[in-house]
Amino acid sequence: MGLRAGLRSLAIGLIAGAAFGAAALAFGQGAGAEPVEIRITHSITGGTQKDALDGIIADFEKANPDIKVKQVVFDDDQYSDTGLITQLKSSTPPDIYFQWAGFPMQRDAKEGFAKDISAEMDAGGWKDSFLPSVWSPSMGMLYEGHPYLVPMTLDITNVIWFNKKTFAENGLKEPATWDDFMAAVKILAAKGETPIVIGNQELWPLGNWASHIASRVVEPAHYDAAFKLQEPFNQPGFEKALTLIDDLRKAGAFNKDIAGLGADPAMSTFFQEAAAMHPIGSWLVPSANEMAEKDFDYGVFNTPLIDPANPTKDSVIGTATGFAVHAKSAYPKEAIAFLKFFTQLDNQVKWAEAGSFSPVKGAMDKAKLDDKTKQMADMLSNAGSLVPPPDTTYPVAVAESYYQAAAYVAGGEKSPKDALVWLDDHVKGMK
Amino acid sequence: MRAARNNGLGGGRPGEGAGIANLLFVIPALTLYALFVLWPLAASLYYSLTDWDGIGQPRWVGLANFARAFDDDIHLASYLHVTLYILGTLVFEVSFGLVMAVLLNSDRPGFALLRGLFFSPVVLSMSAAGVLWTFVFDYRTGLVNAMLKGMGLSDWAQPWLSQPATALLCVMLVSGWKFAGFYMILFFAALRRIPRSLYEAATLEGAGPLRQFFSITLPLLKQNILICGLLAVTGGFAGFDLFFTMTNGQPYNTTEVPVTWIVKMGFDSDQLGYGIALTVILTVVVSLISLLYLRFAERSHAVEY
Amino acid sequence: MRSSIRTPRNPPKTLGEWLQFGIGAVIVAGMCFPAFWMTYSSFKTNREIFRAPYALPETWHWENLTKAWEDGGLGGLYLNSIIVTAASVILCAFFATLAAYAFARLEFPFRRVLYRVFLIGLLLPPPAVAIALFTQLRDMGLLNTLWALIFANAAWTLSITLFLMTGYFRTLKREMEEAARLEGADTLRVFWYVVLPLVKPAMITTGILNTINIWNELMFALLFISDDASRTLPAGIVRFSGFHSTNYALVFAALTITTVPIMLFYFISQRHVIRGLTAARAD
Repeated sequence: MGLRAGLRSLAIGLIAGAAFGAAALAFGQGAGAEPVEIRITHSITGGTQKDALDGIIADFEKANPDIKVKQVVFDDDQYSDTGLITQLKSSTPPDIYFQWAGFPMQRDAKEGFAKDISAEMDAGGWKDSFLPSVWSPSMGMLYEGHPYLVPMTLDITNVIWFNKKTFAENGLKEPATWDDFMAAVKILAAKGETPIVIGNQELWPLGNWASHIASRVVEPAHYDAAFKLQEPFNQPGFEKALTLIDDLRKAGAFNKDIAGLGADPAMSTFFQEAAAMHPIGSWLVPSANEMAEKDFDYGVFNTPLIDPANPTKDSVIGTATGFAVHAKSAYPKEAIAFLKFFTQLDNQVKWAEAGSFSPVKGAMDKAKLDDKTKQMADMLSNAGSLVPPPDTTYPVAVAESYYQAAAYVAGGEKSPKDALVWLDDHVKGMK
Repeated sequence: MRAARNNGLGGGRPGEGAGIANLLFVIPALTLYALFVLWPLAASLYYSLTDWDGIGQPRWVGLANFARAFDDDIHLASYLHVTLYILGTLVFEVSFGLVMAVLLNSDRPGFALLRGLFFSPVVLSMSAAGVLWTFVFDYRTGLVNAMLKGMGLSDWAQPWLSQPATALLCVMLVSGWKFAGFYMILFFAALRRIPRSLYEAATLEGAGPLRQFFSITLPLLKQNILICGLLAVTGGFAGFDLFFTMTNGQPYNTTEVPVTWIVKMGFDSDQLGYGIALTVILTVVVSLISLLYLRFAERSHAVEY
Repeated sequence: MRSSIRTPRNPPKTLGEWLQFGIGAVIVAGMCFPAFWMTYSSFKTNREIFRAPYALPETWHWENLTKAWEDGGLGGLYLNSIIVTAASVILCAFFATLAAYAFARLEFPFRRVLYRVFLIGLLLPPPAVAIALFTQLRDMGLLNTLWALIFANAAWTLSITLFLMTGYFRTLKREMEEAARLEGADTLRVFWYVVLPLVKPAMITTGILNTINIWNELMFALLFISDDASRTLPAGIVRFSGFHSTNYALVFAALTITTVPIMLFYFISQRHVIRGLTAARAD
């Protein structure tokens, strides 16, 4: 076949293909009254949570045959790096999207991505169906006093999980104070066990814990000022916090590959019983159900008491997440309808039973929870205060710099003082 | 070799067609190139002078990003790391590839298979290689430590990717494993062009294989070596995939290279203006080095461009 | 191309040649072992991998492969990679050859300048514009579509392809083209009917090299596509191994599935690569 003939065939093929495609599109759209489709984007990729969400969506669609809910899912990193922003700025934004309370939500509100839902919240007492602590200013669900986020889960960002068998074998109990904790670490290290395993390649696993420790020894006002770059980090409170981490390192608490190990492999190491303790968030429970052996016996305790004089001495570090309605959504009413359905008590009970912490009043009490989740739910309700992790409250770059400083100390790369000096030097360009 | 005065262009002859119409041959490529290479380049220059977070409106800050870049210790260190990495690739990839090209230069059966197998890692995707080798280097369950323990050398078993001293070396080794085959093929193709008679004459005069390598092979391959060097250098500066999948800059940013830091600054911390400024700096550095390299190569009459 | 080399069919004769083969074989075996290990490990259970890392599998769990295929959506990933790679390579080859012919043979205004402009691309690392290109594609509405990757990859391989093709053109003798011109053919006809067939080897080589590079391209694939349905293989694998980071058996199964075909492609096309690399070098 000569070239000319070949080209002609190609051209015909292309035109035909385009015509066919256009016709198909036209047919598709003209086929009768379509149900309204609202799109919800989030990063719940699997596990029991996803199943619960799928179930709730299916129930909603059954109850509302004229509304379809389409999920657009990314994994965590992709979602926060590019997945969400791409959609928010596109010409066809999602109607509902998952967002973290604190800095991210406030930015969305300011930039006009999220819809102000004060009116909907006030109507019919929807706002009151949630736990009051969710609406406290430090949680970051409000922007200029108005709600922009429908609370979806509470997350405990960092607690200490431990292997019950290992503890029992070494005569250890859950430590009530930091001194008890250090003693336990020393006993385990002497026995040749890895006391604590952390996979700190991405800096936040240790970073979150280090922030919690810092919040327990630094006065809240100074903590806030330092992260807002109004005060230097190099102050006694932070130095004490990093020294505690240095003490742990000197006692042989950390796994040798803490700096290069990934977060998930670290969790797996804990499940394989190669370490006694693992500081990570409440999402370990669903992971354990999937990845650990059936008879893996583990427990949890909050970071023990360090400084009895600190106002947040028994705080829990946690954050809230929620669903925002996009300000430019074409179907706000339907979106709100779905979110109201989602936050109904019976659905929230299902949500809680799937391993999430429901922010709706009474859901956690009613739900049939495994004892770990129940323990953490009690931790949340009994906590004297709730402090959010710095990477949701303050600019990420500053928070990550603090995490880096903590990592230097845990790895023995810098002394606490040097790490703080480095930190101040590093963040000065971020003002 | 012709004198390098023509920019490598053949030069048209009068009567080969009117000038403007011939532009049409170049227009398609030019359009694609302008749209997706040149225009974003220009946009980059603009954004580098703002403090954009990717979401809001960009705000003009002039050269503030660049000032910050020179104060950013991790940014500066990343250039050191990438330089070490490039030196490593020159050894583990280019030199190793050259040695293997000579070693496997034979027409006997079996050698073709060996060459093919040696080249095969090149075809793997970086992410596959990264995932595979991360596991191989794992502290508790990895192949390397398991083998060391098996040989009775448990003391040598260490957290390879968690120590500043060994992490970068490991990435270099993996890079070598992956790309040596590529350079081997390039050198091998060149080796084939060296007439046998040269070697036969040398053997008759009593020169051994090593002597022949240094006196015949190396000088004749000079041009290839220089081109391969340039590829290694420019490719090295753009290094991302392997670093991202194996260590992502850790431990303690000791395996941070310019691109991983750019991605972190630009995407992870929403500082796109700053991240883009860093890419501008990277581009300038790479261009300068390449131009200097080419000038040096041209002067030694090995390359014309 | 001079080829004064006959291919002997007999095995190595001298001790030196045996030694050469032996050392080479040992080195190559060492190089290949990790990939080989990964392949047979994908047939083990996860626990087996941790318990006895480099033993052969007790039972061969073929279901790992099917599970990896389904969970990872590997079929879709493959399709996307094939589309992106094929389209980019063809687009680039076509445009670059046209332009290379012009630069090597024709006169037109700005010829020298334009050539230099294209050469800039050789020095540019793609990350240089990744972020700006991201926002540009977003504004063009191409983000999350395969077109973003096709155009980006094609554009960024233009420089090296053009460079190699121009170099190759210059090694071609002009006689055939001049003969065609004397017979009254215009430039286009000369290009289509005379020149194009002559440069086929170079096009094949650059095509193969570009195929391998674009197939494995990671950065743009990660940044520009966030929709599962449009993801290409390398990005999908990174994501897959992130999810299942502790289920090594599954991850290895996925890696094995994604590696074997490209290996086959390479072994089949090996001869072309070498032949082409010898001919298309710019010297």
